[in-house]
Amino acid sequence: MAEKEYEPKIIGFFCNWCTYAGADLAGVSRLQYPPNIRVIRVMCSGTVSPHHVLRAFQKGADGVLIGGCHIGDCHYLKGNYMTIKRMTFLQDLLKFTGFEDGRLHLEWISAAEGPKFAQVVREFTEKIKKLGPSRLKLAPKAA
Amino acid sequence: MDRLREKVRNLLKDGKVAGYLGYIMKDGHPLPHLFTPARPEEVGQAIVAPGDARYPLDKLLQQLAKGYPDATFAVQVRGCDERGLNELYKWGQLDPEKVVLVGVACPQDQADYCECPGPWPSVIDSGNKCKPVLRSQRVDRIDALAGEAAFQEWMSAFNKCVKCYGCRDICPMCFCKECALEHPDLMSTGKVPPDSIFQLVRALHMAGRCIDCGLCEENCPADIPLRVLYKKGNALVKEMFDYDTGSLTTGLSPWKFLGDESTMETKPM
Ligand code: SF4
Ligand code: SF4
Ligand code: FES
Repeated sequence: MAEKEYEPKIIGFFCNWCTYAGADLAGVSRLQYPPNIRVIRVMCSGTVSPHHVLRAFQKGADGVLIGGCHIGDCHYLKGNYMTIKRMTFLQDLLKFTGFEDGRLHLEWISAAEGPKFAQVVREFTEKIKKLGPSRLKLAPKAA
Repeated sequence: MDRLREKVRNLLKDGKVAGYLGYIMKDGHPLPHLFTPARPEEVGQAIVAPGDARYPLDKLLQQLAKGYPDATFAVQVRGCDERGLNELYKWGQLDPEKVVLVGVACPQDQADYCECPGPWPSVIDSGNKCKPVLRSQRVDRIDALAGEAAFQEWMSAFNKCVKCYGCRDICPMCFCKECALEHPDLMSTGKVPPDSIFQLVRALHMAGRCIDCGLCEENCPADIPLRVLYKKGNALVKEMFDYDTGSLTTGLSPWKFLGDESTMETKPM
């Protein structure tokens, strides 16, 4: 019997004005992408606190994908500067503590980039699938 | 010590300050103490805090300032304490016009133990400058581990946490009214050890804010190497945003929401 592929749980935090609309476009264009992603719509990627990302991992997410407007296009002007600062910092902090940095990814995807959206989700899902369940999920709990 | 006491005496006599927040030797114990013009004789017992008996004076000062918003206070500072004050000024928690420094330079053994890059304040009233420690070997060691090994090491440390919140409560830089560590939507409540992300959440908050006084680590009943985590956070903030935590010349914290634009690029997948 063929071994069953690991189906990871991925959380997507997508900005309402760009990536979320990009996801919509991918949908109406009938582009295929894997169903492992659970989408949370936010008003700006800058509202995603690193807490939310850590909380997602704690709750068993295998990967977290943040999607925001391209630099210069944020509807709140400076929101995505905050996003990139926070998420890059968190990626490196996670790496330092051995929590696997590759499980958190940030991508700028505009409302017009439906195909890019589908491709990013496909590639990210593939990558997380290969990584398997997150260390945090497998970590032995103290009694 | 005489130099320091002389300065405190003069400050109190001139009426420049409402009090001096320092340390007193009482019944053989070094304790934090507020020296006031009303009891000048106490200044004879004013001491420099020994390395192993320190308190978060910056934190006590914030409480004093809240109670007496118009008063100016003098405070004993080491290099880290002064960096703490600077950071607190930037975050609007203290008014620099209302603080007078009484500075203490740390001895070499203290600086070595702390791996302190700046073991003296801008004003020195006691002690002499020693050699700063520019690189943390404790951080380097974890950096070299990476991956699974680092994870195992941190997890076995985090799992010892008894969730006493001592690290937060003693921290001179923890001034938030609501704490993410107790927010039921961000952290599971009522379980020990806490979520594995507990210390990471604290590390997030301390990046660019921790002035590396070491009180949290000394205070932690579970001996979790918290300082290593926060030292790394500050090193990352320096690397990424060129931000020197606790320096007055380095501008506002990179975490101010409407702060600087960034030229960073997203990492490849
Ligand atoms: S002081 Fe130590 S044991 Fe107490 S909450 Fe902080 S990390 Fe946990
Ligand atoms: S070393 Fe610990 S107690 Fe001191 S400022 Fe940093 S986090 Fe706070
Ligand atoms: S509005 Fe899309 S990232 Fe700010």
